Amino acid sequence: MLTFLVPYGAVVRNLHYWSAQFLIITACVHLIRVVFTGAYAPPRRFNYLLGLALLVIALFLDFTGYVLRWDEGIRWALVAGTNLVKSIPWLGPALYGVLIGGGKLGAATLTRFYAWHIFGLVLVMIILLTWHIFRVRRDGGIAVPPPELRQDNTRITRFELVRREVLAMILATVVLLLVAAFIPAPLAPPMKESSSMTADARAPWFFLWVQQMLKIGDPFLFGVLVPLCVLTILAIIPYLLPRPAPVELGKWFPKGNLIAQILVATISLFILGLTILALFPAQ
Amino acid sequence: MRKLSVLASIVLFLAVLITFWAAQRGPKPVELIPTLTGKPEYCLTCHADLPEISPAHPINAFGCIICHGGEPLALEADLAHSTMRGGRNPSDLVVVEASCGGTDCHSGPLEDQRDHIHRILTSVQSTYAGAIANIRYTFGAQPDLIARLGISAVQDDLIVTSTGIPSLAAFDPTQETSAAVQSFGGNCLNCHLSAKPGEDSAYARLAGCAACHTPTAGTNLESPIHQLTTSIPYTQCNTCHNRGNYDLRSLTFVPRQDTPTSRFEAYYQPIAQFVRCEWTLDCIDCHTRTEAMGDGDIHSSKKEIQYIQCRTCHGTIEELPQIQRVSGLDDLAIRLAFLNRNATETWNLKSGDIILVARQGEPLWNTRLLPDGSYELFGKATGQIFPFRPVKGSSCQQKADEQGSQFCHACHQEKR
Repeated sequence: MLTFLVPYGAVVRNLHYWSAQFLIITACVHLIRVVFTGAYAPPRRFNYLLGLALLVIALFLDFTGYVLRWDEGIRWALVAGTNLVKSIPWLGPALYGVLIGGGKLGAATLTRFYAWHIFGLVLVMIILLTWHIFRVRRDGGIAVPPPELRQDNTRITRFELVRREVLAMILATVVLLLVAAFIPAPLAPPMKESSSMTADARAPWFFLWVQQMLKIGDPFLFGVLVPLCVLTILAIIPYLLPRPAPVELGKWFPKGNLIAQILVATISLFILGLTILALFPAQ
Repeated sequence: MRKLSVLASIVLFLAVLITFWAAQRGPKPVELIPTLTGKPEYCLTCHADLPEISPAHPINAFGCIICHGGEPLALEADLAHSTMRGGRNPSDLVVVEASCGGTDCHSGPLEDQRDHIHRILTSVQSTYAGAIANIRYTFGAQPDLIARLGISAVQDDLIVTSTGIPSLAAFDPTQETSAAVQSFGGNCLNCHLSAKPGEDSAYARLAGCAACHTPTAGTNLESPIHQLTTSIPYTQCNTCHNRGNYDLRSLTFVPRQDTPTSRFEAYYQPIAQFVRCEWTLDCIDCHTRTEAMGDGDIHSSKKEIQYIQCRTCHGTIEELPQIQRVSGLDDLAIRLAFLNRNATETWNLKSGDIILVARQGEPLWNTRLLPDGSYELFGKATGQIFPFRPVKGSSCQQKADEQGSQFCHACHQEKR
């Protein structure tokens, strides 16, 4: 509908799609950068948690957006993804009902996911995002050593800051526009009530690592607990693990938080490895 | 830094231009908003070369989607075609209700004679019930000739004739104990409306409504034929009928080996007798829509709904054929004449005309009583006019109560 009927609908749809994909990548790279420069150290511990929450919301936004295509391609992800929720003991079935709008997947699920995508998730996202950016200013901007330990105490003006930010924004827009102009967002034939699972039973790329783990065993353990563990480990880094020395703040690979760096690198490689395994299954 | 910002802005401007250019570059959709649906369709972007399917289904009213399904706004062929009903043939009986049905179309009320789909699903053309019942009876699988099984399970809630039966279960040859019935199931189920046609181009027909209403005879079925017609030529009937015989010993179908070069030879039943009108007219000139498509009841034999006889048009030595006056534009006769491509100009049936009528009251709209007491018949497929006379007042001496075709054939048989 949007792709051909609405003037430039295809461009808008492609932009929406590619922005969402790039957002996940950018957010992950941002997270890795923060850990590898020790930028989560106090006073930025709480903002680090806000950032993690934002990453989770972005993932859910991407997932709901993916499902809203409502075509044959998303069927597996919808069924498997929501079944994971159902596998949670005690809470699962109730949560499942709230999530999909009823006892089983159907027309109401589409409306429900739309509501999550447009209202539920976006509302929380806006609040947290504003808070996140507000905290960046409140915590003294980008992480740098305290003034007495700094060699160069010059700062850029606020005009210069805005200029740089706008420049980054323009560049991102250029890249997104060009990608959107030439690489169409995927769309498969519409979902049919009766049809069986398609051959291409695949999660969206950012959840491929979870899908790969599901092949190992118990869905609750590997589909819910392991991802939650990863999240918990990331969350406790600023609180329980050794921190970088103040002089190392904002510098790449500080010695002080080597353990955290190794931990995040391991998690990243773990997720990346599983994703690659899922993308190129051994025949 | 300022220069960099200007440069970035120029790059952004260029990117926007490129995006617009790329968006313009795509295919330009050709939009059609059919009056019946009011929703835009882009099918004509690629399919502008297809002829309109029939005057009764004008493209501006129907569009494509209402019959064919599919994705109306997709411009990639695979996506656009992904949800089409019945592939190239939406009239396939599996999907016919969704394609041709609906109370405003061909699943309309019985009183309006618009219940085409119910009639065809219950007719022997699609159930093949008579043949199945006969074979099962012959080989001891059932105690009488009343049909129990059809090609697909079907039921009829409103029985209007004395021979109608309430339902049929699906015929499954693998469930049969008799080897002969199994063999019949494997070899002989090729002449019903859902059957796959034989390989020769003389067998070329589609399934469902299109089996008869799309003139495919003699084509290779490769290129789609976008046509529906009520002017069905005998060649289309011959894609099933007159194609050979069933060998009752081996229970196989034996196709005819000869290649008919004239219309006279196209009639193929080695021992059959026939008279001139049986080969000069088209099948549908005599056999009515009810005979061909059923009367809405499930029957055990085609004989139960075959009722056109020689006397229907010619009468007997004692009485003239039954007639009726066409009354008003809503008369079924006028409606049927309207659907025939040739009839509007050549035949021009009007309210007030006197036409022949079959015993069950079905109007034979392609006949007409002339002022001099003779009759004429309009060839539905050819558009030709054939004059004919009643038996009464002629030198014929055939008894009025002996009207089977064998009696007429005795004198009027054509020599082969």
